[in-house]
Formats: sequence, structure tokens, C-alpha cells
Amino acid sequence: MSSKIGIDVGGTFTDFYYVGEGEAPRIHKTLSTPEDPSIAVVNGMAEIAASLDPPLSLHDFAASIDTIVHGTTVTTNATLTRRGAKSGLLTTEGLRDALEMRRGIREEQYNNHFTNVVPLVPRYLRKGIGGRLDRRGRQVEPLNLDDVKDAIDDFRAEGVEAVSICFMNSFANPDHERQAAEIVRQEMPGAYLTVSSDLLPTIRFYERISTTALNSYVGPILSRYIDRLQSSLAEVGFGGVLMIMQSNGGVMSPDVARNAAALTLLSGPAAGPGAGLGFVRAHGQDSCIVVDMGGTSFEAALVDGGPVMVNEGYIDRHRLALPMLGIHTIGAGGGSVGWIDEGGLLRMGPESAGADPGPASYSKGGVKPACTDANLVLGYLNPEFFAGGKMALDMDAARAAIKQAVADPLGLSVEAAAAGMYRVICNNMAQGVREITIKRGFDPREFPMVVAGGAGPIHSCLIADELGIPLQIVPRSSSILCAVGMLMSDLKHDFVRTFVSPMDAIDWPALTRLVDAMKAEGGDLLTSEGIKPKAQEFTVKFDCRYLKQYHEVSFEVSDADFTAANAAAITAAFHAEHNRLYGYSLDDIDAAVEIINVRVQALGRTDKPPLPEEKRAGADASGAIKGKRSVYVPEDNAFSDVPVYDGHMIVHGNRIDGPAMIEEATTAIFVSREYSCVCDRFGSFAIYRKGQESLVATALEEPRS
Amino acid sequence: MTQIDPILLSVYARTFKSITDEMSISVEKSARSPILCEAKDFVTGLYDKDGNMLEQTENLPILAFSLAPVCRYIIEFYGDDIHPGDVIFHNDVFSMGNQNNDVAVFKPIFFDGELVAWAAVKGHQADIGGNVPGGYNPQAKEVWQEALRIPPVKVYERGKRRRDVWSLIFANIRLEIVEHDMKAQMGACTVGERRVQELLAKYGIDSFNAHKAELFNASRRMMEAEIASVPNGVYKGEGEIYFDGHHEGSRFTIRVTITVEDKNITFDYTGTDAQTDGFVNGTYTSSASATILTFLQMVNPDIPHNEGMIQPIRMIIPEGTVLNASYPKATTFGNHLCPPNADAIIRALAPVIPDRVTAGWNNLLCSLTTGIDAEKGDKYVDIGFMGLKGGSGAMLGTDGYDHIGMIDASGGLLDQDYEMFEQQTPHLLKKHEYIRDSAGAGEWRGGLGVETEFIIGSEDTQFVTFGDGDFEPAFGLFGGGDGTLNSITLTYPDGTKLVPHNKDLITGVPKGTHYHQFAGGGGGYGDPKKRDRAQLRREVRNGVISAQAAHDVYGLED
Repeated sequence: MSSKIGIDVGGTFTDFYYVGEGEAPRIHKTLSTPEDPSIAVVNGMAEIAASLDPPLSLHDFAASIDTIVHGTTVTTNATLTRRGAKSGLLTTEGLRDALEMRRGIREEQYNNHFTNVVPLVPRYLRKGIGGRLDRRGRQVEPLNLDDVKDAIDDFRAEGVEAVSICFMNSFANPDHERQAAEIVRQEMPGAYLTVSSDLLPTIRFYERISTTALNSYVGPILSRYIDRLQSSLAEVGFGGVLMIMQSNGGVMSPDVARNAAALTLLSGPAAGPGAGLGFVRAHGQDSCIVVDMGGTSFEAALVDGGPVMVNEGYIDRHRLALPMLGIHTIGAGGGSVGWIDEGGLLRMGPESAGADPGPASYSKGGVKPACTDANLVLGYLNPEFFAGGKMALDMDAARAAIKQAVADPLGLSVEAAAAGMYRVICNNMAQGVREITIKRGFDPREFPMVVAGGAGPIHSCLIADELGIPLQIVPRSSSILCAVGMLMSDLKHDFVRTFVSPMDAIDWPALTRLVDAMKAEGGDLLTSEGIKPKAQEFTVKFDCRYLKQYHEVSFEVSDADFTAANAAAITAAFHAEHNRLYGYSLDDIDAAVEIINVRVQALGRTDKPPLPEEKRAGADASGAIKGKRSVYVPEDNAFSDVPVYDGHMIVHGNRIDGPAMIEEATTAIFVSREYSCVCDRFGSFAIYRKGQESLVATALEEPRS
Repeated sequence: MTQIDPILLSVYARTFKSITDEMSISVEKSARSPILCEAKDFVTGLYDKDGNMLEQTENLPILAFSLAPVCRYIIEFYGDDIHPGDVIFHNDVFSMGNQNNDVAVFKPIFFDGELVAWAAVKGHQADIGGNVPGGYNPQAKEVWQEALRIPPVKVYERGKRRRDVWSLIFANIRLEIVEHDMKAQMGACTVGERRVQELLAKYGIDSFNAHKAELFNASRRMMEAEIASVPNGVYKGEGEIYFDGHHEGSRFTIRVTITVEDKNITFDYTGTDAQTDGFVNGTYTSSASATILTFLQMVNPDIPHNEGMIQPIRMIIPEGTVLNASYPKATTFGNHLCPPNADAIIRALAPVIPDRVTAGWNNLLCSLTTGIDAEKGDKYVDIGFMGLKGGSGAMLGTDGYDHIGMIDASGGLLDQDYEMFEQQTPHLLKKHEYIRDSAGAGEWRGGLGVETEFIIGSEDTQFVTFGDGDFEPAFGLFGGGDGTLNSITLTYPDGTKLVPHNKDLITGVPKGTHYHQFAGGGGGYGDPKKRDRAQLRREVRNGVISAQAAHDVYGLED
């Protein structure tokens, strides 16, 4: 076992999860430094070093670490604030506007004030290049090299620092793109270059050109950031391995990240699902829902054996067609503002009071009632113990804001209005969980829900109730779940190639050669990242559809079926997945199936620190009671005096029956009337529906003495 | 009487929306025809037991109000002969359908043995029988030359499929994907049914009924407030339709008289020209949808779409006019009377609410291509979505939106992906770009139009054109300039050029022919001389406005 740190940079705080050699893990938070996030990384490490017993110098501490896993949102922020690199695009003549048209969509159809998103590359830097391949990759017209050179002259004159190349049908034949890339490398040696057939060699022009342009847009930004981070870390003595978190829930080396920067675009919440999986294993499960409620957003993801993947997403309305975790984000957080619409309905969010001015109760000038204000009125938050006592909350300000904006217009008391805000936002979050379960063919009742984020465990009983989820797990480290997850992540690289063929007429030798080549590429990459062959694993997926369908279904193909070229078994797996997703399949009429893409995921197993297990104690938790407080109990639609427990004194085996509050420095947990809670062997609070004791049987057994 | 819980009200609203969205995703992801899964030409909805709209997810606005009238018709038609497990199909324009190709599935939802609601999905089918594949027959004079009529018919009765009825329907439709797409629509209705039943199990029927009525009231109040902010008065406007497919030079005028009286608004089309004997006729439902969606563009976009929203809106659409044809006239073009209908409404209201209207939008001109992909030996149907969408009209404070097309889609109709287009057809795409100087000039300019060019890749290709906008461009407002015209040109391998009529059938087009289409820009708003100079310079640099136009029209000096 060696020393590792997971470091997750957020908008307000940078979170650290430090596992030292032979030590209990430490959780640490420091203020983020948005202008250069690497400053907070070093600050936090210095703070941890100083807090050790005995304290270490930053240099000695840094030198003792052999792995840092780092999650960064610099690419996300650059895209959202439109501060990406100045880039140029080489594309097929006549089609240069595809990037800006986005297939001609206006997302808000009745809103004539809604404008198109600013394109990643302005039109005068989108250059149409002569030369054409047809749908099977056959050359119709050779690449016009003069066009390429002229475009490069313009790019140089304009100070372009990143170039994207995306030509029609390059998924079927990368030759023209490679020719153009060669010229760019010669003529603009310092430029950041993205070639669509390298990054994403799959069919669908808009998806590919958008993803390619995104990669160039953020590539120079991420490269510079990684340079800075690596030199800062080297300066303080760190000589170990640095890994960067990706949107697919895996990690990668800095060199891979530099070339495929777009892989980090939606990586912010991507470590959470893997961490959630670690915590539900205490209850013999290998699937879960993971939810994370922060200050402005609520994220939900599903883990079914492993985190559920999707093959596309959006960032700032731009399409990103790389494999990523299927994380659904909605605007619901502690800062979500309550308001009455013109028809008189109470709504919560998506407007957020943010951290500044923040909810009314922060006394920083905010006057709009936020979710946090409602939680304060309802007794879920302790005005003297918010953020572990680091910040006082102003009850009067919270009440005044709710009265003015919600209670008076609806003719309700302040308490009833606050309860309404609570119920509405819980309903919004429950709908968010439906997005990743019911809408993808999973039944939420079959999964435990891991609850993270400072505000999550106050709301989770009502969310669970709405969806019929019987078990919630609140880890001790729930407020920094992503930093924990980073240390549990494997290296993951996704490869995809278009291979169009009817399922019953696959050229198996050709497909096997293709898959072998993809595996070899993945193996080489993992080896270059220090992963030994025996720690390398490969998964094959097919994207298939019924003949003439438009969307594909992606599903795993077992080694055995692939090796045996067992098209019948693979087809059956496709029917089953289609049925699960869309409620029907066409196996009854034996409808023809075609394969469109083949995918390989190369996974490099890393050493993961085990989650520390706690010693077993009895069920009696009464020693942790620190008082009583009046809180709102949704099942009664009324306030009750409930016991308040000091969460730090709760140990493995302790039981608490709802309604009750549990307070920790960074988290408050509300156990509602229909629920009970037991502390499991990882120290997590396992909240189960009364009568469903069997779900937590191992944690409930009294210790043998 | 059940007490209204203001909080539960929000929960119901959010849940209804989530259900219709879920139904929509189900169709989008599992349908086969690109018209459904790429262009999303379908709508999903929930209705109460009387056919009042609870919520809808309309991917295309023109379909937004096309289900409720049919739902009411079906309820009346079957009376008490509606049972759990029934599934009803419908497309008939003479029993409240909007367009023959738009085929609806209705599923009654029962709770505790009682009919409580309906789930419905209506989608544009790739074929619906009739004389011409794809359903657009410019030569049609009667409905039978256009389509198979499906008045309300049960394809499932008490959970059992009626094999005979089912095969009768699909025996009259050319493409087998239609059968699968109708199954996809049925699947989505089942999704809706399940979710509504869950909701009822939780809150009970009394709560459901009381709260849905209150939701209608909330939407109605919002719409009434919007109408009340329009000055009382009587306003008139006109829109023009050019060519009915039969009579060279024919032209029809839509005339609307809008009366605003406090919280209510009436759209009266009395005086509109008489119906034609071609297929350029509307149905009551298509014309009502066109009216509502145009007005919705002028009000708060956040009003929840339910029955209450349309209660303050009255419509008089006399039968026998071009907007509401009598049996058995041809009507397939009816949805596309929306643009000139919108023109009439915008022209009427622009003087009174100049800050809420847009200038004219580019009108639709579409072509539907069918043939054999020789390399694959397979039939194909392609609707030229990418080519048909010009620019939207500008409004006070905001430029028109580039390439989102006619107002009845309002940006909801997606282009084919270029590479998928080349997979699904034998054609080679040469060009799809914004057209320089196509936007109507103005302090706020219109949206840009697009130019589309492809080379036809198989012999004996057939084109159906349908649309307008090749005679009259999108109009500017308050000093803004007009957009540009639509056009389609075929250049044959021997160099001959053919410009089809805007409603036409062209057969036997040879391989190697160039197809070339211009979709015009939207109208501008306000004096072009006042356009922001920095923005104008950017547009010149980006080549969407020429230096000459910037100088001559916008008065840019340097």
C-alpha cells in the first residue's frame, strides 16, 4: 500500500481525499483558486502536510505521495465561459457551416428572443477544402492541397493556435484527413491539432465535427494547465504518477489528456458513481443510483455492475459524441430559488442564488428565498452549526424572504411555504432520477441510492419515497464523494470504429482483425501508462439497430460469443437490450439487425485503497444524542421535536429510528418517520425503509461478544 | 370537493410534463422512419377523460393542438364502448384530423375500472397509401387520391389485437416501416398509461380531477393576462397562397379579423378565399393549430401547454374556405398553409404589439425524393429537411434565427445528418451553406437562408415539390427589408434546366442531375442604418453580408 491523493476541483472548494501509508483516510477541503486551479492543489497539500502528526514539510509530504488523481473542470469552464482557444477548421468544401447550424435546431421553439450559440470556430476561420470521398470511402475527387495551404496561410496570419480537420465520410477512409494533417504539422508545428478520424472515427458528420472542434477549442487550455500543474507539483517535490479524470469515469495519463482534451469536458461529476459502488458493496450489492446535490445542481447517475455509459452528451448546446457516464444534471441545489410563476404555481430553480450573494440566510445581500432558507425554517439546518459552525445562518432573513416571495402570494404560513419548497424541489430531483432509471429502462426500486453532496441527505428520504427506493447510503465522505471516487478509478480508454454490416452476414475475419487492432492500440496505450498486461482488460460492444432504424443500441458482446462468431446469441442480446430500453423488440418477426459501430474499452486496473472498516459496536446510539429540535416531518405534514445526533459519535452497528437528525461538520442527514438508519461497516449511514430490515441485515446483526 | 394543495399542484404539473417527455423519447429512440426519429415530426400527449389536454410534448408546433379535437371526436364516437386494453388509430381529416399522414394512436387509461384519461401519440408516417408514395400528391383532387382514410378504428379491443383490422390497414400502406412505427407509437402510449396509473395510485382520482382543473385555471389566467396586455380593438391582416397545383397563376388570400376584448381574443377567418379543387386546402384542425402556434410566439413562452391555455382563444374558420375544406376535398398541403396564415396574423397585430411580433418568416419549399438506390438495390424516401429551412423573422431586439425554417416548425425540425443522408440515398451532397445577403436587412436582421446542392446518384428518380415562398419573400417590418425567395432547379446531365412548380411531380430524373435549392432568409426589423456597426463588420468578415450590401443597404462607411 502506498500514499495516494484524490483531488477534485470544484467551483468553490477543492476537495482532497488522502490515503497515507497505513493511515486512516483524511478528508480535506480548501478554497478553490479559479484563476489558476493548481494553486489550490498545492495549498491543500501544504495544509494536509501541516495537519499530520507529526507535521511534515510540504516537500517531504509531496515526495511521499506516489499517485495523484486529479479531476479538473478547466475545459468545462473554458467552454461555458467561451474562453477556448482561437481555432481554425478544415472541412469539406460546401459544408463549412454544419458546425454553426447544429442541424438547424432552436431548442426553445416559442421563444423568438432565443439566439443560436456562438460557434466554436467563427465562419471566417472555417475553410472549405476541395476533395471528396463517397459513402464507402472511395475517392470521388482528390484532396486539393492548395486549398489546405491557403487556409493555413490565413490561420497563421490570424494567430490561430488550434486546428481541427473533419472531412465528409472520413469514418470510412481517413486518407484525406491524414494528408491534410501532415501539411498542418509541417506548416504549423506549434499548433494544437485534432483529426476527426483519430478522435472519433464514426459515422455522423455533425457529431464528429462538433466533437473535433470542441477538442481543439479546449486542447491548448488543458495542455497549458497540465504543464503548470506538473511543474508546480515537481517544484514541491512530487515525483509520483499524475492521473487525470475523464468523463467516462476512468483516468488517463497527462499525455493522453493533452491529445484528447475533450475527454475531460464532462468529467466533473464522473468519479462519483464509481465511489458509490464501493460503498454499496458493504451491503452485498453491485448496483446503485448515485445522487449528488450541491449548491446549484443535482446530478444523478446509475451504476449497474459498473457505471452506465452513454455515447453522447452536450456542453453549452454543442454536441459531444464521446463515450461518457450517463450522468443527468438538473438545476436543483441548496441555492435554488423559489418563485411563483404567472399562473400561481410554486417553482424551484433553475435560478440559483449561488454562493454570492447566496441564500437570504447567508446575510450576504441575497433576498430571494433559496432551498437552504427553506431547510433552515424546516429545522433541517442548525443555524449555529452550518458548515461545521464556520458560518452562521440568519433565520429571520430566511423567514422574511420566504414570506415575501412564496408564503404571501400563496396565502400560506411561512412554515407551509417552506415545506412546499422542500416538496417541490424533492419532486424535481425525483424526476431527475427518473431520467437515468425509468427512461433508460431500469426500475429505481431495485437499486440502493448513494447520497452525496452537502445538501443531499436532507432531501433523500422524500426522493426515495417518491420513487419507492428502499435503501439509501450516506457515506462519511459524502461531501467529497468525487475525490474518493478518483482513487477508485481505473484507467479507461474507449475506441470506436464504424463497421456497417448486416448481422447475419458479418465478415468475421475482418471484424476480428479490426477488434484485435483496437485492443492492441488500447494495450499499447495502457502499457505506456505503466499498466502491466495482466492488469489490462478489454470489453467489446456493438452498436446495432434494426435495419433502417436511425438510432443504435449499444450493448456488450461477451468474449465467448465474439470468439465463436455467434451472431444468433449477439442478436438475442440486442433484442433484449432494445426491449429493456424501449418496451418492445422485433424478435417475434425475426427482424433483420445491422451492426453500425464496434467499440472496445481498454481498462487498466489500478491499486485502490480499501475503504477503511470500522469496529463493531452495539445498536444503542443514545450516547450520540446532543439535543432535540423541532423539524418538519413530511409524512405528518407537521413539525415534531426530534432527537439530534452527533454524527461523528455514531459508530458501526448504531441504530437510529426516524424521525431524527444526524449532524456532521459538512453534512446534515434527515431520517424521516418511515425510515430507520444503521451505521454500516464502512461507517456509512444506511437509511432503510422501516420493515425492510433485510436490506441491511449484516449491519443490523448484534455483535457476538 | 377536494381541497387544492398549491404544492401538490406543482407536483402534478411537473409529473405530467415528465410523462409526455418520456413518451416522446420512447418514440424518438425506437421509431424507424427518419421523419419521426430524426425530424421528430410527432407529438405525445395526455388528455383527461373528456379530451381536455393535460400536457403535451410537441416536437413540432404545428402538431401541438392537433390531438385534443380528435380525442373529443373519439370519445363521442365510441360513447360507452371504450374498454381497458383498447387501442384506437385515427388519421381522418373529416373527423378532426389535421393531415392524412399524421396518424394518431389513442389509448384510454383506466383506474379502478373507470376511464380517467387518455394517452396519445400522433406522428407523420412515411407512407399512408394513396396515389403517390409519401402522401404528397400535388395532382390530387379528392382525399382518396391522397391517402387511406382511417376514421376512429380499434386495432386492439380489450387487450386483444384485431388481426383482420390490422392487416386491412397495413395492406393499404406501401412501406412496412409504417407498421413498426405505429408499434413504437403504441409503446409510448403504454408508457404514458403506466405513469398516469402510478400517479393515481398515489393521490387518488378526486385529487387528480380537482388539481387538473386548477392547472387549467392557472394556464388560463396566464393566457388571459397576456391577451389583456394587447389593446382592445379589431385588427385585420392578409396572407397569400400561390398556386394550387392545378391552375397556373392561381392565388388565394387568407383574411383574418382579430378582435381583442379584455381577456379574450377571436380569430375570424370569414372572407378567406374559397377552397380549391387541388390539394392546397386546410382542415379545421390544421388551421386552428396554425393560429394558436402563431399567437403563442407572441406571448410568454413559459405558459404550460394545457387546455386552459386555449380557453380564452376563439376561432371562426368557415367551412368551404381554403382553410377548412369540405368533404371530400384534398387537403394534404393543409399544414403548410400555416406560413401564410401566420403572415396574416402578424400583419394584423404588428401595429398594436410591435414589440412582440417578428417580421415574416421564410416559407416552406420542400422536395420529397423517392427512387431506388441502385448500389444497394433498395427503395428509399427522403424528405429534404436540410434544404427547406430558411431564416426566421427578426424582432425588436433580436435578429432572426438562421436556418430554422418555417414558423410551423420553429426550429424543431432537424436536418438529416449529411453522412446519414448519403447512406440512406444514392446522392452526393455538394453544398449546404448559409446564403450571403439572404437575410432581410434591418436594425435586427432576418435569419439567414441556406443553399443546398446534391448530385442525383440513381436513374429514374422522382421528385415531389410542395411549398411556396417562390413568389413572395418573407416581409420586413418597420423599415426592415424583405428576405430572399425560395427556388428549386434541376440541371440535367445534358445541361437542360428545369424549374419545377412549387407543387409539382417530376419523374424519370436521370443519374448525374444536379439538384439545387435555395431556402430564403427571414424578414428584417427596423432601419438597417441603425444596425450595430461592430456586429455588421463581423458579419462582413464572416461573409454572411457582402461588403457591398453593408455599404449600400446598411450604410457602413469604412
